[in-house]
Order: sequence, then C-alpha cells, then structure tokens
Amino acid sequence: MGCKNVMVYVETAEGKPVNVGLEMLTAAKEVAEKVTAVVIGAADAAATTIAYGADEAITVDAAEYNTEAYAGIMAALVKKYAPEMVFVGGTPNGKDLGARLAATLKAGCVTDVIAIKEADGKVVLTAPLYGGCIYSDSTVDGDVAIAIIRGGAFKKADEPDTAKTGAITAETVEAADLRAKIVNSVQEISESVNLEEAEIIVAGGRGVGSPENYELVKELAGLLGGVVGATRPVIEEGWISRAHQVGQSGKIVAPKLYIAFGISGAAQHVSGITGSDFIVAVNKDEDAPIFEVANIGIVGNCIDALQIMIEEVKKMKSE
Amino acid sequence: MEILVCIKQVPDDSVNVKMNPATGAPDLSNITPIVNAFDTYALEMATRLKEAVGGTITVVCVGPDKAKDAIKTCLAVGASNGFIVKDEVTDTISTADALAKAVAKIEEAQGVKFDLIFCGKETTDCASGQVGTMLAANLDVPVIPNLVDIEAIDGGISAKQETEEGYNVVEAATPCVVTVTKPAYDPRYPTIKSKMAARKIPIGELEVGGVAAAAVSVVANAEPPKKEAGIKIQEETIGDSMAKAIAMMKEAKVF
Amino acid sequence: MNFHFNEEEQEILNMLEDFAAKEVGPRAQEVDEEERFPIEAREQLAEMGMMGIYFPEEYNGSGLSYMTYIGVCEKLAEYCATTSIMVMASESLCAWPIFAYGTEEQKQKYLAPLCSGEKLGAFALTEPSAGTDAAMQKTVAVDKGDHWLLNGSKIFITNAHYADIFVIFALTDKEAGTKGISAFIIEKGTPGFDVTGHEKKMGIRGSSTSELIFNDCKLPKENLLGELGKGFKIAMTTLDGGRVGVAAQAVGIAQGAINDALAYVKERVQFGKPIWKFQNTQFQLADMQAKVDAARLLLYRAAQAKQDGEPYSHLAAMAKLVAAETASDVTRRCVQLAGGYGYSRDYPFERHMRDAKITEIYEGTSEVQRMVISGWMGAK
Repeated sequence: MGCKNVMVYVETAEGKPVNVGLEMLTAAKEVAEKVTAVVIGAADAAATTIAYGADEAITVDAAEYNTEAYAGIMAALVKKYAPEMVFVGGTPNGKDLGARLAATLKAGCVTDVIAIKEADGKVVLTAPLYGGCIYSDSTVDGDVAIAIIRGGAFKKADEPDTAKTGAITAETVEAADLRAKIVNSVQEISESVNLEEAEIIVAGGRGVGSPENYELVKELAGLLGGVVGATRPVIEEGWISRAHQVGQSGKIVAPKLYIAFGISGAAQHVSGITGSDFIVAVNKDEDAPIFEVANIGIVGNCIDALQIMIEEVKKMKSE
Repeated sequence: MEILVCIKQVPDDSVNVKMNPATGAPDLSNITPIVNAFDTYALEMATRLKEAVGGTITVVCVGPDKAKDAIKTCLAVGASNGFIVKDEVTDTISTADALAKAVAKIEEAQGVKFDLIFCGKETTDCASGQVGTMLAANLDVPVIPNLVDIEAIDGGISAKQETEEGYNVVEAATPCVVTVTKPAYDPRYPTIKSKMAARKIPIGELEVGGVAAAAVSVVANAEPPKKEAGIKIQEETIGDSMAKAIAMMKEAKVF
Repeated sequence: MNFHFNEEEQEILNMLEDFAAKEVGPRAQEVDEEERFPIEAREQLAEMGMMGIYFPEEYNGSGLSYMTYIGVCEKLAEYCATTSIMVMASESLCAWPIFAYGTEEQKQKYLAPLCSGEKLGAFALTEPSAGTDAAMQKTVAVDKGDHWLLNGSKIFITNAHYADIFVIFALTDKEAGTKGISAFIIEKGTPGFDVTGHEKKMGIRGSSTSELIFNDCKLPKENLLGELGKGFKIAMTTLDGGRVGVAAQAVGIAQGAINDALAYVKERVQFGKPIWKFQNTQFQLADMQAKVDAARLLLYRAAQAKQDGEPYSHLAAMAKLVAAETASDVTRRCVQLAGGYGYSRDYPFERHMRDAKITEIYEGTSEVQRMVISGWMGAK
C-alpha cells in the first residue's frame, strides 16, 4: 500500500453521488489501507459510498455547493483526520474545489488524474499534458497530496455491496464568511445529457457542415437510443449546446459504441473517446487522425453516410 | 480600475506534442510558443472592462526571457505595462507563490494597488486549473473561477460564472482574483498602430526570490499507448462502403 | 542589395500571418465555392490598419514601408488569393493614384477614408474594346462648364459591387490619342452610375468583378484626378505599382500551394511510406521552392526600387511575368503531386491553380509585360 489513508470527496447531485465520486472509491482502494468518503450537504448519500467501497464515511451538513465554503470544510477535515491523500472528482466544481483546497493547505495537487500506481513506496499519479498528447507521471511531496480524478478514468463497482457496513460519522464545521457570493443561478441548458453513462454516442464534428445537417446526427442518435456528442468547434459554431462536448475540455466518455461523423480527430477530442469499446468514424479525408483510433473507418462524405445509416436503422427497426 | 492579467507562454496547442526519445521529455523544439488561449480570453475580458470603466492593465508572466514575446503580444491588444518574472518555477504552488510575490513588487514599482487580477482558468499545456485559485489564497482575497463575463459594480464586481447547466451571477468585493473560460466573444487582433505602440513599451524584469518549493515532481513522461488501428473502408461509392461497414458492425454485435 | 524586412516590418508581417492563418485561410474554400466576397476579412483588415499600409498617417495610413505592404499582399495571397486582390485593388489601384496625383482636398476626402478602411476602392480602365490596347477608350467625359458628363462602360472591374470610391478613365479629347484620356474620381451612388452583373470567373471567385455603366452621369468638376489629358500616364504608372502587387500575389499563391502540398505529401502514404519519402516528390518540391524564391527576389527588387523612388516599370514587369508564370507552373505541379485529391474540390490544390492563372492576365497580360521589358531593352 502506498499510503494509509485516502479521503475521497464524493460530490452529489440531487442527494446522490455523481459517477466520478463512486469511481474514485475504486481508485482509492487500489492504493490505500483505509478509504474515507466525505459527503457534504447530502448525508443520505453516505451509505451509498460505503456500498461502493468506502471503509467509512463522514457527513457534514452544509448549504448548497460553494467552492469557498466546501473547501473550508474539507480543509478542516483534512486537518482533523490527516489523510495522506485527498481525491476530488474532476467535475467543474470538483476542479475548483481541489485547487482551492490545495491552496488552503499549501498542498501539491495533480489535476486530471487518469491512473494511479505505486513505485518505490510512492504514489505515482498519471495525468495528460498538452491536450492529451503526453501522459505525465508525477509524485507529490508534503504531508498531504491532492488528486483531482478525471471522470471515466476508473470504473465504479459493478454492483453496490449493500450488505457492507462502515462507520458513518457526522462532523460539524463552522461555516466561514463567504467573500464571493452567488446572487443568482441561471439554468440555460435544460436538457439532461448523460454522455458519461451513454452506451451509444453519435458524434458530429465541423465536417458535418451546417446546423441543418447536424439534425441528421441528432436523428441517428435518437433512433439508436444514444446521446449526441460534439467537438469544440461545433459548440463554438452554436450547432448544439456545450453539454454535448466530448474531449479534453468536455466530457470523457466510454460508451460501447462511438460513431464519429466529420470529426478529424484532434488530440483534444480523441483523448476523450479512447475509452470507448468500439469506434466507427466517417471522414472524407483518408488521412484524418480519427482513423488511427477507429475500429472501422469509412472514407467518404459523412452526410451521405449519415443518411444511409439512418435508413438502415429505420429498416432494422421495422423488421 | 487597476487590473493585472497573469499569462503563461505555452506551446501552440494546435500542434500535437510528441516525445523526444533522446531526452525523455516532450519535444517542444519546433512548436511556436504562444500566449495560453485562456489567458488571451482573460486579457480580452479585462480590456473590455477597462474600456467600460477606465483604468490600466498590466500583464505579468513567469517564464524565461523568450516569454517576453508573449508579453509583447499582450501589449498590442489591451495591456499598457508588462513584467516578466524570471524565478524558476516547476509546479502550481511555486508558480502561484512567485506570482503573489510579483504582485507586491509590481504594486510597489508602479505605486498602485490592483483591484482585479485576471487569470485564464487553466493553461492548454498542463491544464491544472489551480494557479488562479492558489494565487487568491496566497493574497488572501476572494476568487471567482470560470467567468464568461464581468462588470464593475459599486465596491466590487459582478461576474457571470459558467456552470454545467448555465451560469451563476457572483459578486465579490475588490480586490479579488477571477479566472476566465471561453467567453461568447473572441480576443481582438492587434492593429498596426497598437503593435507599433507596443514595441515602444519597456518590459520590466523581476526576480522575486525565495519562491516556495515545488510539491509536485514529474518522474516520467510518455506518449499515450497507441490504440490498435482498425480497418479502413473506401469502396467505389459511399453506399458500398457503408454496406460493408454496417455488416461489420453487425458482426461485431455493436449495431 | 539587401532585400529583407527589418524587425519592425517582420513583426507586422508575423501579426498579419497569425491573423491570416486563423481568419483568412479557413474561409478561402468557402469564399471560392460560394463565389462570396470576403466581407469579414475586409472589415477585420480595415480594423487592423491594413487598408492603408504605406500611406502617411496624416491620411489615416499606417505609415509603413511599401515593402511591408508587398509582404502583406504576399502573405494574404498565401492564404486566400481573393482576399489579397480585394486589398490590392483598393490600395495599389485606387488609393495610390489619389495619393500620387490628387489635390489636398481629394486626399482628405477620398484617400483618408480609403486608408482607414471605412471605404473601399476600385480602378476602372478596361472596356469591352480596350483591354490590352488600353488606349482604345470609348468612355467619354464632356466638359459641360460646371460639371463633366460621363457616358460609357467599363468591364472586369475588381471590387465593383463593394467599392465606394472608383478611379476611372475617360476620353476628354477624342482627337488627342492617349493624351486625350483623363482620370476621374467617382463615388458609388452618383446618379447615372451603375454597377451591374457578376462575372463568373475561373479563379479568385470570391472577388466581386462586374461592369460599370455611366449613363449621362454628372460628375463635379473637382473630381478630375491629376491634369487634364494625363489620364493615360496616370493609368500606366498606377499599373506599374499594381504589377508589383500582382507579382506578390502570384508568389503568395505559389507558396501557399507548396505549403499545402508539403503538408499533404508528409501525410499521404502510398507503397507503405509517406510519398514525401520518394525522391520524385522531394525533387519536385525542391524545384518549385527554388523557382518561387527566384520570383520572390525579383518581386522584392522591384518593390525596393519603387520604395526608393527609382525607375521600376521594367522591374515590375519582370517580377510579374516571372512570378505569374511560376505560380501557374507550381500550382499545376502541386495538383499533379496530390493526384486525385489534387483534382478534388475538397482539397485546395485545384483552387490554387485556378487562382494562379489570373496573375498571368490582369493588370497587363504576360505578353504586355514582355512588351514593357523588350521596350526597356530598346525594342521599338
């Protein structure tokens, strides 16, 4: 074991642990003797963390997420429990929280951790650099190390072990005065896009050509019961909301089937899809880098290909 | 409003970085150094704020001598002063510490106090997203990360912070640190006039000394394991290609 | 002999290249395919101060050297030939004659907004029966005492639908031959002046090329540019400068084709290796690069002579002749290197080839350049 205690901050959404929160429990088990889950403002989720691998759990009552407040709570817990490592999930809030916690504790912090191993008694954290072109291994000195774990990098336990027991401790941490106040929260994206858990993703890149053509991507995804994925340029063109972005600056995905239309395969995008079981790519450029990761690559016009595939699925459904 | 924008010079992120087998380090030798994209968004947002409420923008960059080019670029698109911090830094802790010490030195040198410090939300090379937040902690001021817009209000700022579902409106008193993600607008291009004017601005050189030791050490680098390339289909017509592909997908039981 | 850009000039060119790579290049295919005027670049270049690069700051110019302007034209053409001619038609062919021959009032009124980029310029000499034989002008301007009355038409006018200010040529004395031609400045929207049609071209397809019609068009007396009867000389000296610009465009197009070809041959695998590894490919590209650099030296020599105020007509003609023929040759060979993809409109190679051809034709065909050169050599 590389370290004795790992504290895992398990983020929750509507009272339930988010995926990466549970995935981290798997990762923590690999290096720690004891895994302590922390849930803030959602005490009911503590039992779930035990079932997914935590040895014990700490709950803290608090209002809804605020980086300053939550980092204060985590810092207090770290001081009290003195774990050697703290894992935080790489969601947008988690990235802020991890950085804030590292700053508060003056601790070394590695973001976007995709693998954890031990070497010479030290924990080695692997994270992508240069948009996923290089994987870099780091070690962290100091009393405590913080790892911000990338979603999808580890698999959560297949089935929760509901019979498993573990101590659940409620802690109270006094709320600090907040210096940055959220005065309004606006929901612009109403659709629920669950790329991380999708089994089929139909993705379109700039090669799809226009917002009108992009409707074909959506149609095929709908017919297959899949989720629409998109590249950064497509988001910037405004063809679809940023909730659909796949890649380094979007979601890291691992579906059973990933179909890419008109995506050339920039490193930033490819690094987000390599966990897919099966990749099919259509691109007019036979030298497109996407073909280097595709199980099946089709050289040709992606709009024609989309239409043919839509017809095929319709035919299969009617049979 | 006195504004500081922290920037980093990074290798052009549109180029795929490869390993140099001889050195065991990423080979950056033939990649053009540019200003980190998120820092250019931060500078643009700062410049728009300056244009709205008045003030001065200073840019600071921790880096080697050649990072002066990055500062020069910024001086042509909104910044009026530039400083380079030459202390050696290798991780986020040492970078944030060097920046915090530089803030004090620049404030002293210019006889001002910064109201707002802008950082990009992350760099395109390391993507740790930690430095802005750490800098705020070092300076003991509030931080608002991931902004897409900002405006001045009485005694502070009101910021639009990107969230997964939309945005928050966050308010904080100045001085404070903000980090910036991609706003709805693009950074401006320099003009011949602004470029010529920027050439005349001297870049201040600082060595702050006593920078905190790094906590994170890189022990190895490697290119990601290559996925085995599959089959490429290019028949006479796209119809033929697709028929073949669909048959194979069915065979693999993914369709 | 020292044809290099100084540090300041190089910084401006780097800045322009960064812009062109991000904004101009990515739209080049669309601009060509849709025969669409590059309106975004027109606005952005104006904003950047690129529409009056070598004119004095007192007229809103950027006050840089002519060499810098030529460097900008070359770089723009490397990314999009259409965009480069939009700039050149305004700066070389409209702003320059106003700067060189205009009165102070004309400079304030017309040159200043051209340099700021607020307005776009065009140049109108060619007529249905006056192409290479430019002296055969049929457009007439009659002195009506308090105004000029203009009748006639011009064809193949670059920037036509988007230009605000035109430098045009008309006969003011039918008996006086070339000495009966005068130059005028005319603004868009002048009653009796219309721009019609859209020329469907082989290349530079995003460029607006149209016909100008003057039908009892009343032109204020003060719109005469330069002296009465000096129009032909104004046209010829303007075209001397224009030719340096076209040579820059040709060099740019050729270099752009080589850059695209180089990227392509490094990726394209045949017989188990990138085709860049085959000596034929290497030699082809080496040949092309050497020819382009030779043309570039002629270009810089002509540009330097113009900048230094030395006689340069023959140098401009040589630069344009060699650069244009080089561009046509190099772009054709790049199509060949890329094979089927070279011929495909999904790739840029055939566009470069179509764009290159115009440089052998406009602002004096290659044959006209030979006339100028042999004339300088003493031929009568």
